[in-house]
Amino acid sequence: MATSPRGLVAVPQRIQARLTRFGVYVTAVVVAVFVTVPVYLMLTLAFQAPADAFAGGRVNLIPTNPTLRNFRVLFETTATSTYFRNSLIVTASTTLLSTAIAVSAGYGLTRFEFRGKSYAARAILFSYMFSPIVLAIPLYVVFFALGLLNSYFGLTLALTAISTPFTIWLMWQYFQTVPIALEESAWVRGASRWRTLWDVVLPVARPGYVSAAIFAFSVAWNDFTMARVIMSDENLYPITVGASLFLDRPTIGWGETMAVSVLICIPPFLIALFLQQYLLQGFNVGGLE
Amino acid sequence: MATIHLEELRKVFSVGGTDHVAVDGISLEIPDGSFTTIVGPSGCGKTTTLRMLAGLETPTGGRIRFDDRDVTDLRPQERNVAMVFQSIALYPHMTVRENIGYALKIDGVPKAGRDEKIEEAAETLQITDQLEKMPSELSGGQQQRVALGSAFVQDPDALLLDEPMSDLDAKLKAELRVEVQRLHKELDTTVVYVTHDQTEAMTMSDHVVLLNEGRLEQFAPPTELFDRPTSAYAARFIGTPSTNVFEGTVESGESGPLVKGQGTTVRLPTGALADRVGETVSLGVRPQYVTLDSGEHGLDVTVEVVEPLGTESVVHCRTADGTPFDVVTSDLAGVDPGETVRAGFDTEHLYLFDAGGETVAFGADLAELEGSP
Repeated sequence: MATSPRGLVAVPQRIQARLTRFGVYVTAVVVAVFVTVPVYLMLTLAFQAPADAFAGGRVNLIPTNPTLRNFRVLFETTATSTYFRNSLIVTASTTLLSTAIAVSAGYGLTRFEFRGKSYAARAILFSYMFSPIVLAIPLYVVFFALGLLNSYFGLTLALTAISTPFTIWLMWQYFQTVPIALEESAWVRGASRWRTLWDVVLPVARPGYVSAAIFAFSVAWNDFTMARVIMSDENLYPITVGASLFLDRPTIGWGETMAVSVLICIPPFLIALFLQQYLLQGFNVGGLE
Repeated sequence: MATIHLEELRKVFSVGGTDHVAVDGISLEIPDGSFTTIVGPSGCGKTTTLRMLAGLETPTGGRIRFDDRDVTDLRPQERNVAMVFQSIALYPHMTVRENIGYALKIDGVPKAGRDEKIEEAAETLQITDQLEKMPSELSGGQQQRVALGSAFVQDPDALLLDEPMSDLDAKLKAELRVEVQRLHKELDTTVVYVTHDQTEAMTMSDHVVLLNEGRLEQFAPPTELFDRPTSAYAARFIGTPSTNVFEGTVESGESGPLVKGQGTTVRLPTGALADRVGETVSLGVRPQYVTLDSGEHGLDVTVEVVEPLGTESVVHCRTADGTPFDVVTSDLAGVDPGETVRAGFDTEHLYLFDAGGETVAFGADLAELEGSP
């Protein structure tokens, strides 16, 4: 019988392995329940008419009469399509701007030496620690002075400010994994620095900037705080802010609210579905396994 | 094709406020169309020198000329050199065909012309079947061939290779050595090859540049480097096992100067080293020229380890005062660890170095002097 140095009976490897596996399963099931149940509730309520869903004073968990009625009500009686469009515009421009800044800054930090580089790097990480609300009031003051309140551009800038510290850091880490020899070999073959960036560096760094873009996307798409602070014109609300107003309206019930939630979920879901392989690669390098 | 001139080339790296001299005033002329190898131990500045030729490092001082064209301040794009990197550096997102043809694409060569050159290169390097594959699908040797192919289509003034075989196994190395030489003949260009492996340097090159801590130790054809090293460093670096070096003193004898050391006495022809009487010198002899129990001179050595290499063996010994002394022999009779044997050698195979390690006399010259009346 194997014993440990202290004389205690050691647990055999086989039992240890079984226990570990059991632990993993239990954790997985608990997580799955907490994540899936709300999503399931959202879906059932969104695709049932309120009369069916709440028939008999209880929530009907298994839809018998699936319908798109809630979505129809949303689009006919509310400004959901405007909100959705606003969200798309702001998210797309934030994603583009944030990724472009991240790629340029990340490349610069990786390949060029300059005075104060380590301070710049630390400042980037430090600024990432602030919660968006800390930035919100100063940004409001700045944007008020610049006349950028109530504009897509203003909100894009604000959201870019929130996402870039992380995306820059991500790209900086990623570019460090691109061997300089690849670039040097392109230079020796006659490619200019820009051409090399375009032909060699960016294709090789694709998982990195796709991850950065996904991150910027999720910050922008899910933002509530900044939009609430910067946009006061209802026509410019993104869908997150717009949907939150529904709860106050007597004509909009749970069914419609869940339907708008489904709409909010669709773009992130599609992105996760099609780009998950990039996401994992990029975050692996970023040390975020 | 170009003759490459280096004039007082210097490179100093500043790391954290301290200066590190990587290349310390190298002047030499690499002949047009030659195969020149830069060799030396790690950190001797050979890769830095090559990178300065490519334009990837800017010299701190000195000039580089390709023929009459001063390229010192030209960017790598403007030099028309091709370079093969130690890490091979194939573009992972391009097929083999695109990798080889990338330089042509930048030059704006139309696709048909590119394909023609790519296929010619692929045929020469026997990678025609791999053209549509991605680099990650290739073996190390094939990847190296692709890298050579990229250099091949460029028709460069100089082809620079930075330790291209250091990651390959011995068999592939031998194969690619031949390949590189063939490429040199076909390309008819000046090749500069960096390696820390003196075998590669000796077998492939027309000229060898031996560096020592950033300084030029010797620049000569391989045979000259082997037979007439200008310093103890060169003698020890070139050739395996390393040249045996042991200390001695010059004394004046009745019929000319003598060098005494390790219990052996080497008589020198009259007049040789006459001005060095009383000085400490070092004697060098290659293990290949040492015989057991024969030779004009000899010293007693204790056998420590015997390394059989097939047809011959390397016998690692030590002299009475502990200086390592190697012998290459095919006759192992009586040679066992712990035994004391007599290692013999002839004057004609000796090198004599002064206290600073510079060669002061070659045994071959001394023997000739001795032989002449």
